[in-house]
Amino acid sequence: MEKLVRSKLFVWTLIVLPGLWPAWPIFRQNPTVLADPLKYLLHHFGFVACILLAVVLSLTPLRVLFPHARIALALNRHRRLIGVSAFFYALFHLGFQILHEGGWPTFTTDIRKPFLLCGALTFLILLTLAATSFNFMVRWMGGRRWKNLHRLVYLAVPLAAYHQALARKLFPVQVLWIFVPLLALEAARIIKQRRAASSRPR
Amino acid sequence: MRIRTPKDWELRESDVTPESAYRLRDRRSFLKTLGAGVAGATFLRTRGFAAMGGFPATPNPGYPPDGLKVTPYELITSYNNFYEFGMDKGDPVVNANQGWKPEPWTIEISGLVNNPGKWDVEDILKKMGGIEERIYRHRCVEAWSMVVPWDGFSLRKLVDFADPKPEAKYLRMNSFEHVEGSQDAGFDGAYLEGLRIDEARNELAFIATGIYGKPLPNQNGAPLRLVTPWKYGFKGIKSIVRIDFTTREPFNTWQMLAGNEYGFYANVNPTVDHPRWSQASERVIGGGIFNGRQETLMFNGYEKQVADLYKGMDLRKYF
Repeated sequence: MEKLVRSKLFVWTLIVLPGLWPAWPIFRQNPTVLADPLKYLLHHFGFVACILLAVVLSLTPLRVLFPHARIALALNRHRRLIGVSAFFYALFHLGFQILHEGGWPTFTTDIRKPFLLCGALTFLILLTLAATSFNFMVRWMGGRRWKNLHRLVYLAVPLAAYHQALARKLFPVQVLWIFVPLLALEAARIIKQRRAASSRPR
Repeated sequence: MRIRTPKDWELRESDVTPESAYRLRDRRSFLKTLGAGVAGATFLRTRGFAAMGGFPATPNPGYPPDGLKVTPYELITSYNNFYEFGMDKGDPVVNANQGWKPEPWTIEISGLVNNPGKWDVEDILKKMGGIEERIYRHRCVEAWSMVVPWDGFSLRKLVDFADPKPEAKYLRMNSFEHVEGSQDAGFDGAYLEGLRIDEARNELAFIATGIYGKPLPNQNGAPLRLVTPWKYGFKGIKSIVRIDFTTREPFNTWQMLAGNEYGFYANVNPTVDHPRWSQASERVIGGGIFNGRQETLMFNGYEKQVADLYKGMDLRKYF
């Protein structure tokens, strides 16, 4: 199991499959998808991007909470891969949104609405992080500065959650099962780290 | 799309179809009903259809497709917002057909009317003098649209039948509270909608009992639902149980859920945006990925028929 999780190919496959899913011929027979395929693609890619964002951020807390679990360590090898793929799903999502809006002019007028603005800001953050994800960027920026920049991801999460929560007419429950576990993990991690810090002799 | 002006329409109301042709059609439908009646009725019943009276409907030449591309039957009957049967658009076609039978169905007329009471849907259909077919645009508040060939009768006929008292100003309509197969709809109680009485008397206001010449499938709001083509789709309350005539403006379900986004009037208006998206254009259901948007028309293209209803009103305030 640990070996499988360590494998880049395995994780790659897991990440790419949801993107190919809509092309599956059987799936196209679904009349709901056929009714407005673009809307389906738009929601699907945004949905996967949110999941990947939540997954990549739960990896560090998992490692801190379970320092002896080899799977947690193995998973942490893929942080960059998962993070960058969240960006690519968001990129497709944005492309579909521009198509869905009927082109650039309407897209740029609608972007002022808070719902869309939050999505756009999330995308800009993911773009910045993906662009600085190369090894040489870390070296060029220096570890501390790089790390501070990449803390922007903690801003991307509430923005993405808000954006997703408004994507349907009524509050979609999936926002909760995507982001609440992450919230719980982060909380547990902060508590654990605080305790460790306070019990340390001064 | 060109639609005859109301005046034109009203002048011709008595001879929408030449009487001889109408009689012929009527006789044909009568014979058909006879032929299919015994075997067909039982067959249809097991499929869960309701309100079967009057088919096939007489096409109303006042509402022709006029170059509009009618949306395929499969899409109209599988892409539905009917939250009582699930929140995804693909849910109702499945969940509404797992044991729920909208028959027998009683509809109640109550409140400030001279003719209150409860009637079986089939009796109401007979009292309305049969059904007709009208092809209407359908514009959802989510900025997608269809073109639907509805079968049914003019709501005005039902209002006249109820015989409202002069003080009645509004119609308050509600759907069922809970039925087999329904689930958490995201709101309490029955779906609620309403119309001003002059809106209900407008020639366009329609009660549908079918589409494409077939009784309404459950997911489309069997056995009978409201159709107001100049308003956003959520005004078209499905599976109506009761119509109450009142003096006060009804507070509809979507106002309850998000009053800042959805109002009582819900008139299609390309100049008043939804807080989260533009209403200036719409996506046509059944188009492909690269199908662009089409411009949304004021009152969904029915300005001639309904603009007078809202004269002098600030449509930004009364959205």
